[in-house]
Amino acid sequence: MQGNDNAYVEFEGVSKSFDGRTLVVENLDLSVKKGEFLTMLGPSGSGKTTCLMMLAGFETPTSGAIRIDGRSVHELPPRKRGIGMVFQNYALFPHMTVGRNLAFPLEVRGLDEAQCRERVARALRLVRLDGLEDRRPGQLSGGQQQRVAIARALVFEPELVLMDEPLGALDRRLREEMQYEIRRIHKSLGVTMVYVTHDQEEAMVMSDRIAVLRSGDVEQVAEPEVLYEEPERSFVARFIGENNRLHGRVRSVDGDICEVETGGQIVRALRVAPCRPGDATTLSIRPERVAVSPEAGLYTNELDAIIEDITFLGDHLRVRVNVCGRSDFIAKIPNIVGHGAMLVGDNVRIGWTPTDCRVLDPENEEEST
Amino acid sequence: MASNRHIKNPNLRPRLRAAGLALPLMAFVGFTFVAPLATMLVRSVYDPVVSDALPRTLGLLNDWDGSSTPAEAVYESAARELVQAREDRTLGQIASRVNRVRSGLRSVLTKSARRLRQVDSGPWRDAMTGIDAAWADARTWHAIRSAGERYTARHYLNALDLQRLPNGAVGRQPEERRIYLPLLWRTLWVSLTITALCLLLGYPIARLIAHAPPRIGNLLLILVLVPFWTSLLVRTTSWIVLLQTQGVLNDLLVTLGLIGDDGRLAMIYNMIGTLVAMTHVLLPFMVLPLYSVMRGIPPIQMSAAASLGASSFQAFWRVYWPQSLPGVSAGSLLVFILAIGYYITPALVGGSSGQLISNMIAFHMQTSLNWGLAAALGGILLACVGALYLLYDRLVGIERMRLG
Amino acid sequence: MATAGTRERVGRFIYVGFCTAVFLFLIAPILVIVPLSFNAEPYFTFTEGMLRLDADAYSLRWYRQIVENEVWTRALVNSLVIGIASTVLATGLGTLAAMGLSSPAMPGRRWAMGLLISPMVTPVIIAAAGMFFFYSNLGLAQTHIGLILAHAALGTPFVVITVTATLSAFDTNLTRAAASLGAGPVRVFRRVQLPLIAPGVISGALFAFATSFDEVVVVLFMAAIEQRTIPRQMWAGIREQISPTILAVATFLIVFAVLLLFAVEWMRRRSAAR
Repeated sequence: MQGNDNAYVEFEGVSKSFDGRTLVVENLDLSVKKGEFLTMLGPSGSGKTTCLMMLAGFETPTSGAIRIDGRSVHELPPRKRGIGMVFQNYALFPHMTVGRNLAFPLEVRGLDEAQCRERVARALRLVRLDGLEDRRPGQLSGGQQQRVAIARALVFEPELVLMDEPLGALDRRLREEMQYEIRRIHKSLGVTMVYVTHDQEEAMVMSDRIAVLRSGDVEQVAEPEVLYEEPERSFVARFIGENNRLHGRVRSVDGDICEVETGGQIVRALRVAPCRPGDATTLSIRPERVAVSPEAGLYTNELDAIIEDITFLGDHLRVRVNVCGRSDFIAKIPNIVGHGAMLVGDNVRIGWTPTDCRVLDPENEEEST
Repeated sequence: MASNRHIKNPNLRPRLRAAGLALPLMAFVGFTFVAPLATMLVRSVYDPVVSDALPRTLGLLNDWDGSSTPAEAVYESAARELVQAREDRTLGQIASRVNRVRSGLRSVLTKSARRLRQVDSGPWRDAMTGIDAAWADARTWHAIRSAGERYTARHYLNALDLQRLPNGAVGRQPEERRIYLPLLWRTLWVSLTITALCLLLGYPIARLIAHAPPRIGNLLLILVLVPFWTSLLVRTTSWIVLLQTQGVLNDLLVTLGLIGDDGRLAMIYNMIGTLVAMTHVLLPFMVLPLYSVMRGIPPIQMSAAASLGASSFQAFWRVYWPQSLPGVSAGSLLVFILAIGYYITPALVGGSSGQLISNMIAFHMQTSLNWGLAAALGGILLACVGALYLLYDRLVGIERMRLG
Repeated sequence: MATAGTRERVGRFIYVGFCTAVFLFLIAPILVIVPLSFNAEPYFTFTEGMLRLDADAYSLRWYRQIVENEVWTRALVNSLVIGIASTVLATGLGTLAAMGLSSPAMPGRRWAMGLLISPMVTPVIIAAAGMFFFYSNLGLAQTHIGLILAHAALGTPFVVITVTATLSAFDTNLTRAAASLGAGPVRVFRRVQLPLIAPGVISGALFAFATSFDEVVVVLFMAAIEQRTIPRQMWAGIREQISPTILAVATFLIVFAVLLLFAVEWMRRRSAAR
């Protein structure tokens, strides 16, 4: 036994290269607790599916170790890992009925017919598809196929279930419904789940914890709220939710608060990334933490801005302003009484508190636009 | 009323247009292909030569009881009509037709017709029996009556190793004269073996090509398509060059010391030659349909099966194989259909033991000139192919046939 | 645990090995012919000199024989004349018919398709025998016209299949759009439909040409000396006076086949790229 005693699944220094030159996954460390719902979130090419395939045993790490329940699975072929997996586009067997699809993992494990039938029925009940045993996958709707795929991954009662972008092919409404369903099933069975998606909203809704991946490495692993409120990397801040980013240079550091010069103005902000005066940095601030025309003196940071655009969105307004030399700075203002008559072209003051504005690692200007 | 008729069949115009486009080719194929086949099938049951030449004799033979020799009148008319046929130069055709029913009668007929020219009056029975004792044999007259049928099942009976017994019933040919049914069985058996060999060799490579990375897959596909496009005669020649006694493979084996110079293997001009060369020729017809079906099976399904606990064999047998069955049936039927009608390859490399039914048809067309029998054999082969073609349509669908 | 992985690796190794052997079986006979056609000796096997790569062991004498022998040049002319004429006939009729067959309005579509494809699966020996009887009665046996008609009949199924396949991927809205823009049916066909299905038509034509160019049984039954084609001459060469000249002809035909193959593949790419 090595590593974290608490961990059920562990990646330790895992790297993967397909061509022997470029690394798709680079020295990745990650652990998943038993019973946890962990989502690997990242854009395409971030290596999340590769990680999942290595965990399932379809790819072998170039270096590093993967452990499940403390045991290295390096030499274990996929069929002996006992992991339930839901594939992109489901990979249901089109020539078998739903019942036979579900019975398949049970039959290869040598269960007799009565047991198979009983377990298949139970699994179908779990995904609310009772009585559809005799249909073919081709006769089902997308959402139903999705449920069958989930039932098939669960029917042999694995302790670990992997899902690879399972909702990618569904339309928005069905996707939301299935997010809820998967969450419910996870809670009722208590299995450990590793879920892969590129949709940050989906990750936020479903996960106990989210690992944000970027070009083969983990940027940050945390609970959804923490990830949203306290991003530690500018990539995470950009990827999760909407964010305003200001590029600048650190002028002075005073404890947790830095002064940063951006677009000719001085902004006070919370130090997150280690920095020294003179370092380049990216400031990150959520649009809903920006106030427009606040009472004078309420915020330490107060800047002059010009309103470029106003969008009415029912419960709130999106105000795009030009500030610190950037014209893509957004403020979200609740639609409450007395938000004042604002007009495009008005000169206004905007403000925020230093702790809502985070000093992060500098971001490449090109990739940020 | 006129407008009513328009409303009645709004689909008439597009239907006529579609039919009109297809019609020229239908007519063309009907004329250049179907009509010839029909001519051949007619020939297998219709043979007017003898009945045109000996009308009176055959008419009188209808009243004959068939057990003893016929009446004097029959002898007389036969003598006159044979002499006439000799003058009309149809005697040879008549003699060879009668001879096919009962061998040995060719010379009897030609000799009798020649000598009967000098005979002016009866008794005809004695004159003819004097020329050849066969005329006193009832079986001779049975043969003439049989050859004289204008519409006849004779060729089909022959082709199925059956014969008309003197009492009119149908019975099997004596053991030593049965050649066509064994040949038909051999043809079916060889075709089945070739189909099985093609499947055995073709299935793995089709699967490899279907799931290889595109660049490699295309390259491997070329290796299948080059033989597919190469002339049949070229490929058959290649196998002669490779397999003959003084050929490349035997030379190689001798050089390697695996066999002695006097122990060279006979791998061609026999059944082995037919099997090897035909498997090579037909293999692409198996690989291509398999490949196109297999390309539609997502490889992720095998991963899914493995994640569900199946061994590689279980995953293959229960997930992959059933989904590849449409390709298996399409390829197998195609290869089988093409194999049972194959002519060129067995003719060139089959020797005497590797001949198939097609070669027998060619023999009767070109050498024995027994066209009726050739047509009947063709009819039987055509029936086999037709049945398989319908099966193909039922299982695979003709419109789903693809090339390359 | 390691055994599972090892066993899979061994299985993979056997599988790939088997496939390699099958590919060798497919291609080796064709590759063997080519060097042997340059044999300086009248043998059908590699001489010691050839194996030593001795330049004297190789020669072009068999190629020279083809060029100098009028039997082969006449055969080539016959093959080309019959091949091209039957291809034109088969392609024209086949394309029209395929357009009719692809229309959902086509009455008796299944039967029509079955009839039009049948020349492809009917044993050639039967077709040849029937054609011999039928064409003899019409005085068409032992004429170029007769052979052209016969080969066109054998080639049409290929045109019908490839063009129908291309048309099944054809968006009928394109013809509707053209018609709505004011084009008449002929113009729609020439300006919109034909350019789009051209790769399928050309592939079909190449198949039909290859069918005629390779056909020997019908020629065997129906041709006199004057109509002998290359395959017929090869047949005679294999059966009667076997000489390495036919290896030289075979090499020529292999090169020709590869050119046809690449032409068809190029067409397929073009139509797939759309």
